[in-house]
Amino acid sequence: MNSLMRVETLAANTFREAIRNKLLYTLLGFGILMIGAGVLLATLSYVEVDEILQDMGLAAIRFFSAGIAIFVGIGLIYNEVERKTIFTILSKPVSRAEFLVGKWAGLTFTVWLQLALMALAFACVSWMAGAPLGFDHAVAISLIGLELMVIVAIATFFSAFTTPMLAASFTIGLWMIGHLSRDLRSLGEQSDLNSVATMADGIFQFVPDFEVFNKTLEAVHGLPIAASEIQLAIVYALGYTVATLVLASMIFNRRDFK
Amino acid sequence: MTFENRQVICVDQVVKDFRPGLGLRRKRVLHGVNFQVQEGEIFGFVGPNGAGKTTTLKILMGLIRPTDGRASILGRDVAESEFRDRIGFLPENPYFYPFLTAREILTFYARLCTVPSKRCADRVEELLEVVNLSHAADARLRTFSKGMLQRVGVAQALVHDPEIVFMDEPMSGLDPIGRKEIRDVILSLRGAGKTVFMTTHILTDVEMICDRVAIIVKGAIRHQGRIEAFLSDDTASTSIVLAQLPAETATQLEDDYAIEMRGVGDRVELTASAKDVGDILGLALSARAQVVSVTPHRHSLEEVFLTAVQEEEGER
Repeated sequence: MNSLMRVETLAANTFREAIRNKLLYTLLGFGILMIGAGVLLATLSYVEVDEILQDMGLAAIRFFSAGIAIFVGIGLIYNEVERKTIFTILSKPVSRAEFLVGKWAGLTFTVWLQLALMALAFACVSWMAGAPLGFDHAVAISLIGLELMVIVAIATFFSAFTTPMLAASFTIGLWMIGHLSRDLRSLGEQSDLNSVATMADGIFQFVPDFEVFNKTLEAVHGLPIAASEIQLAIVYALGYTVATLVLASMIFNRRDFK
Repeated sequence: MTFENRQVICVDQVVKDFRPGLGLRRKRVLHGVNFQVQEGEIFGFVGPNGAGKTTTLKILMGLIRPTDGRASILGRDVAESEFRDRIGFLPENPYFYPFLTAREILTFYARLCTVPSKRCADRVEELLEVVNLSHAADARLRTFSKGMLQRVGVAQALVHDPEIVFMDEPMSGLDPIGRKEIRDVILSLRGAGKTVFMTTHILTDVEMICDRVAIIVKGAIRHQGRIEAFLSDDTASTSIVLAQLPAETATQLEDDYAIEMRGVGDRVELTASAKDVGDILGLALSARAQVVSVTPHRHSLEEVFLTAVQEEEGER
C-alpha cells in the first residue's frame, strides 16, 4: 500500500514535469497538423479518399506519439541524476525500482493523454470529412496506446544507465526494428543459409514486435479485428513492459550516484 | 548498553574504489573508513575538499555502494530502503523541481515518506514556520535564493520527523543570519533527542555545536573523538596589542622575549608565549604604553585539522 502511494506520488510529479516540456507541445502540434493535412492529401485522389485520410491520420498519431514517448522519455532518469534531485528522493524510503516504475507510469499517463488529444483531432477530421468512424478505429488507437507504454519502458530502460543521446539512438533503433522485425524474420526464412534464418529468428525473439499493435489496415478498410489479437497485444505489452522495467531496475540498482 | 551510548550509525572498514574512465584502472577514494555515531549527539565529519566526506555520506544514504566493508544505520544495512523513513538527508547545494512551490515540494516528500494525509498539511505548515519560509510557501522554487533553497532542503529532511538527520555542508553558501538559523535548527534537533550527522569544512561551526568529531583526510580517518579532546584548556599563545609604546621599550621586548612586532599606525601587535605575558604587560605599562587588547589562543580544532592535512601531505 505504501509502495503504491510512493509510485503514485512519483508518477504525479513526473506528469507535472512532463507537461512542462515544450517538445511535447511541438510534437503534439505537428501531429494534429498532419492529421488535418490528411484532408488535403485525400483530395489528390479520386478513390479511397476516406482510407487515405484515416491511414495518414493513424500514421501521424503513431509517429508523433512515439516521438513524444521517446524524446521526453530519454531524459526521464538522466535529468534526475544530472540535477541531483534523485539524491533527496532515494534518501527517502523509496526503492530504486519504485522510482523507475513511478517515472515510467507518469510518462505513460502523459503520452496517453496526448494520444487522447490526437485521437480527438482524428475523430473531428474524420467526422468533418464524412469518413466512417467505428469500434475498430478505437481499437487501433488503443493499441497505439499499448505500443507507447512499451516505448516508454524501453526509453526508461536506456535512460537508467546512459546519456539522452545514446538512449534516443537505441530507443529509436529498437522502435524501427520493432516495426520491421516480422519482415526480417520472413527474409531469414527465405534464405538458403540456416545460420541466417536462425539469426533472423533470434533477433525477432529478442526485439519487440511492434506490428502486434498495428491494426491500422483493419481499422481503415473495415476488416475484422479478432478478440484474440487484442488479447495477445495486451499480454505482449504487459509482458514486455514488465520485463523491460525489471531489467532496468536490476541495472539501476547497481549504479553509483556520484 | 545505555540510552546515551547506543550506536545508531556504524561505519566499519568501508572502502570505495571508483573507475575514473572506461578502463580497468581503479582509484581508491576511501581507505577503510571506520567510525560510530551515538544516539542523540551532533557528529561533525570534517575534512578538506576531496577528502571523502560526501562519498562516505552517499554510502550511508545508499546512493553509492561500498567496494568493501559495511555501513549500517539503526542496525540496518544502508542498502535497504525500508528504514529510511527514520532518517532525513540534506544534500550539499540541494536542487529541487523549480516548477513546484515550497509547500508542494514538502508535500511531495511527505507523501514519499507516506506521512498520513491528515498529518501531512499540518506538518508542512509547521516546517515552513521552523525554517522561516511561511511567507514564500506558495512561490515557485525557481524564484528562491540559494539560502531559501537551503532552508527548503532542511525542511524536506525533517518532513517525516526522522530520528537521524544527515546534512552535507548545511551552512555552505549561507549568510551569517542563515548560518545561525541552521545552527539553531540543528541544536533544537539535539534538544529533541535527534541525532545529527553533518559534514563540513567550517570548523568554527563544528566547535560551536558538535559533540564529537571525526577528521577525514585523503579517504582515511585521521582523528576522532569528543570535541573537548581537540580543544585544549592550555593557552598556547597570546596576542597583545599595545598603543603608544616607546621605541626603546619595543626594542627591549624584542630582545628579551624574542618576539616579533607588527606595527599598524601607532599600535603594535605581538604574539607571546603564555608564560611571558605578565612580564611583557608589566614592562609596557611601566613605559606608559596603553594595552588595547590581550587575546589568549587555545589549541583549536583548526590546528589539529591542519596538522592532519599537513601530515598527509608529508607522507605523499
